[in-house]
Amino acid sequence: MRNDTGIHGWLQTTTGIVAVLLAVQFLTGVLLAFYYVPSVDHAYTTVSYVEKVVSSGSWIRALHHYGSQWLTVFIFLHVIRLFLRGAYAANRIQWIAAILILGLVMAAGGTGYSLPWDARAFFSTRVAEGLMGGLPFAGPLARLWLLGGSEISSITLSRFFALHVLVIPALIGAVVVWRLFRSQIVELLGPRDAIAGALVFLVLALWALKHPAPLGPAVTEAGADYLPRPGAQFLWLYQSLKYIPGGLGSIVGVVLPGIVLTILIALPWLKRQRLIAGSLLGAGVLLVIIMTTASYLSDSRDPKTAQQFAVQAAKEEAWRREPFKPATITLAATSTSDATAAGGPPEMYTKFCASCHGSHGQGAQQGPLKFPALLDVPAKPRRSVDDIVGLLKDPTAYGLQPPMRSFSTKLTEEQMREIAEWIVKLKK
Amino acid sequence: MNIDTSRRSFLKFLPLAAVFASIGGAAFRFLRPRISAATDSWLDVAPVSELAGPQPISRKVVAEQITGWSITTEEHNVFVLPAKNNQVVSAICPHEGCEVAWEQNRNRFSCPCHESYFAADGSRISGPAQRGLDPLPARVQDGKLQVQYISTDQATRA
Repeated sequence: MRNDTGIHGWLQTTTGIVAVLLAVQFLTGVLLAFYYVPSVDHAYTTVSYVEKVVSSGSWIRALHHYGSQWLTVFIFLHVIRLFLRGAYAANRIQWIAAILILGLVMAAGGTGYSLPWDARAFFSTRVAEGLMGGLPFAGPLARLWLLGGSEISSITLSRFFALHVLVIPALIGAVVVWRLFRSQIVELLGPRDAIAGALVFLVLALWALKHPAPLGPAVTEAGADYLPRPGAQFLWLYQSLKYIPGGLGSIVGVVLPGIVLTILIALPWLKRQRLIAGSLLGAGVLLVIIMTTASYLSDSRDPKTAQQFAVQAAKEEAWRREPFKPATITLAATSTSDATAAGGPPEMYTKFCASCHGSHGQGAQQGPLKFPALLDVPAKPRRSVDDIVGLLKDPTAYGLQPPMRSFSTKLTEEQMREIAEWIVKLKK
Repeated sequence: MNIDTSRRSFLKFLPLAAVFASIGGAAFRFLRPRISAATDSWLDVAPVSELAGPQPISRKVVAEQITGWSITTEEHNVFVLPAKNNQVVSAICPHEGCEVAWEQNRNRFSCPCHESYFAADGSRISGPAQRGLDPLPARVQDGKLQVQYISTDQATRA
């Protein structure tokens, strides 16, 4: 039975710690939503704004980021404590609620990683897409429903946002309320729970002061050598996926955890409870510890990887010192674009150049191909009007590579000059 | 309530209060509004040679403002009053901030929201607005009429 004295009593305070960390996630999440915009062209800017400009923004975001990882760990410890106490038989609701919250918190973490829309978020969304798409039978359909279309787009980001801030928190809230009102436990939190929760928060708060939450480069700025890594609570899955061929990853990453959670939820009605839950939880702990350790080891032992991480860390550090760059939003009718300094693009620009370099020279990206913006080009060497005309005739002479090609057969000298004279006026 | 119970609830309340107070304090700083600096750049309205006649002339100016995480380029309507030495007035109604339109056949500005009316020189005729249309700082540079677009502050509306 419950022994509340001494060190043993303090080991029983996981409820308090989980409750406090859940409250921290809710509060910091609501605050972040005051600035965040779930759109592929502004998500990264708004997160950068929170990091660099908003008072306490970096701390609030770090609390939310590391809090999600700590929460996962403490819910897991909470489930193990309930298992050791035999709660699955003695207090079914408490047991089921804990398992449900474990699953929901993992889902919140998985959807949350996509939101900042940095390179890391992009890859994490790709992995989620792959895991869904690889599911047996329902894979292609599940992938389409998750993405909201055939490709990752702004709709995908909105879906992850809605799941992350509306659906999953509502479900967690419902489970917590159900647990509060239906459980036989009279006092949810004792003084010791509250103190333990506050102490864990204190450590988290100090950690978050010292370590800002990571933010990788923007999706458009990440080089091909960028190495993404998921948050600590998903490293086990990340490492496991290295050893599993192809579509089997979906089995390990989605189906297996789903089956394990379902069995654990159904545990109160099963026979041989201690054996089933003991082996599932034991295997889970082993898998997580071994794979997480393997992930850290393989990253730190490979000198090339370690070097790339050092480069990425230095770049992030440099990015943090740069002043914030606001995004440009135009709320003017298109007709007045003629009133801006450069005026509208020449007809021939729209016909031949706009499909790659953007309708107003803003540049574009098509899959792996990046087409440079044509803004502020006179600031660069060899980009006078005469140079641009020459470049349009013979791009290789100006150090450009395909897909940029010569337009000497398509455009007259006069048309090239018109395009060049327009381009040199374009400003950022 | 016996002493033991109140001691228990105090021990419970204090640590939780500390957690919420620290996040609450940060939340206040986090949500504090940021006042964006008014833009004072001169925006082209039209060449002076195009501005003539007794009627107010509607023009659009494009102003840039840094607000929060974005630089917003926004189009604003202004009216040039050639009959009043090319004074430029904002189209923002000084009542609640809707945009007034020029009614040529009735020779007046009318606000679509609360029926404030203004004369061709921008002065108030009737309605809930308490003053005429707000003049904007203007100058002539290289034959072009230019204005500074300063949006009327909520506080000065009446």
